[in-house]
Parts: sequence; C-alpha cells; structure tokens
Amino acid sequence: MSHQPPPSPGTPSTCMEMLQAILDGDATPEQQVQFKEHMEGCMPCYKEYNLEMVIKELLKTKCCGQCAPPELIDRIKSQIGSNAAS
Amino acid sequence: MTDEEKQDVTNRHSTENEKTEIFDKEFMPHINSMYNFAYRLTFDEDDANDLVQDTYLKAFRFIDSFEKGTNAKAWLFRILKNSFINDYRKKKKEPAKVDYQEVETFYNSEDVDRQITPDLRVEALQDMMGDEISNALNALDVDFRTVIILCDLEGFKYDEMAKILDIPIGTVRSRLHRARNLLKEKLTEYAKKMGYKNT
Repeated sequence: MSHQPPPSPGTPSTCMEMLQAILDGDATPEQQVQFKEHMEGCMPCYKEYNLEMVIKELLKTKCCGQCAPPELIDRIKSQIGSNAAS
Repeated sequence: MTDEEKQDVTNRHSTENEKTEIFDKEFMPHINSMYNFAYRLTFDEDDANDLVQDTYLKAFRFIDSFEKGTNAKAWLFRILKNSFINDYRKKKKEPAKVDYQEVETFYNSEDVDRQITPDLRVEALQDMMGDEISNALNALDVDFRTVIILCDLEGFKYDEMAKILDIPIGTVRSRLHRARNLLKEKLTEYAKKMGYKNT
C-alpha cells in the first residue's frame, strides 16, 4: 500500500508524533523533508505546526529571563569557599 | 598505566582548585535557568532559593562523579529535580495534589487527544501580551509543567529529559504531547475570555 517501510520501534508513526519530533528538533533530515512535503497537502498538520511553533516561541520569550537573586549567588559562592578550605 | 588511565584517575580525583574551577565555569553559568526551574516548581522565592542552594552544594559535594565534557546543565537539573521530590515535598509534608498515575491514565483517554486547534488561533496567541502564557504553564500539574519547562524553555533533547526525569523516552514523548494539549486547553480559555470566538 505504502512505498515507505514500516516505522521501526521508537520512530514517529503518526502525523502528530512526527510533528512533535520536528518541533523539538528530534527528527532526522529525511523525516523533516517527508513532513514538509506532507504539510503542503495537509491543512490540519500545517495549522497545528504553526500553532505549536508560536506557543513554543511564546513560552521561550515569556517564561524565561528570570534572574537568580545576587544574594543567592553570593551565598553559594561563600559556602563553596568554606567547603573547599575545610 | 596508559595515558588514558592516568587521565581517568586525574578526572576522578580533582584538586580543590580544579573543583572550584569546574564549579565556576561549568555549573554557575546555569544559575538563572536553575532558579527559574526551582521557582516554577515551588512558586515561592524562599523555597526556590533553598532548592537552588541545596542543589549547588550537592553538586559540589559530588563533583567527582560529574564527568567533564558531559552536559553539566542536564546533570544539575537532575539533582534539582531529585531534591525537589525527595527533600522539598517531604519537608513540606505536601503530597502531590494529584496522583500522577491517575492523571496519566485519565488524560490517556480519547478526550484529551482530540484536536483542540479549531478553538485556538495564532492571532489570539499573538495578542496575549501579558502573563497568560506563564499563568497557563503554572496552572499545569507539576509533572506536565516540568516537561514543558525542560523542553520548550530550556531546550533539552528527549534523551536528556529521559535521564533528568528517570523515565523512558517514550514516556517523555507522550507526557509532552499531553502537557501541550492541556496547555492549549488553558490558552483556549484565555482566548475565549479575550473575546475570540471559535473559528
């Protein structure tokens, strides 16, 4: 039925699994090409991919960037110093 | 003794100076990510401080078991995650609000795997200028929150996440998939409140 060999264990077997692997940089170059071709003809996958990309990007820009308090850094450094000296 | 063996012995028994150097160069650069992780686990500044401090002191104590050249960040995140589970949760005598197995079984149902996309549009997300994303993340159960933090905020690969969390890669994938669906559900609620109608 299909020209593709059956997926080996641990490789993405459905569209959504493949989408996740692409999104997270876990897909092989061949899988990336294969998915890109698939997305051109598959609207749900295309929309889902764009949505997931936007969410991933938003998470990165809105939820990172918190700085550790300087007092915490000082406290750790001084504790290490005393440990090293003993 | 071959050169390789000599090198191996040197690696395992670092001098105090070498230890401090590894600590400063390999461990300290990750302090902001570590603090962000700790804060998003505990939602309390003092607890986050304690958790990060405990983690760094443990890392220093066990520095001989850290293999130079391997991923220091993943190693530190693993220690922090274990400290959170073993020390923090016990100290607080606060069992996880929901038993994770139950949650996983529940969300394994068809219900959560349905397509959520039609309710959530890219434009709605782009209008979320405030804390919506952060709040949606924080509203997730801790195990789901953790995989999103590790993957999307910190950029860990699946195999690294598997080691940090002590779970198989397959579980990383499925937990991440469910976490994202739950996050989208939250975001859909916010989008509705903002006046976006279903497409």
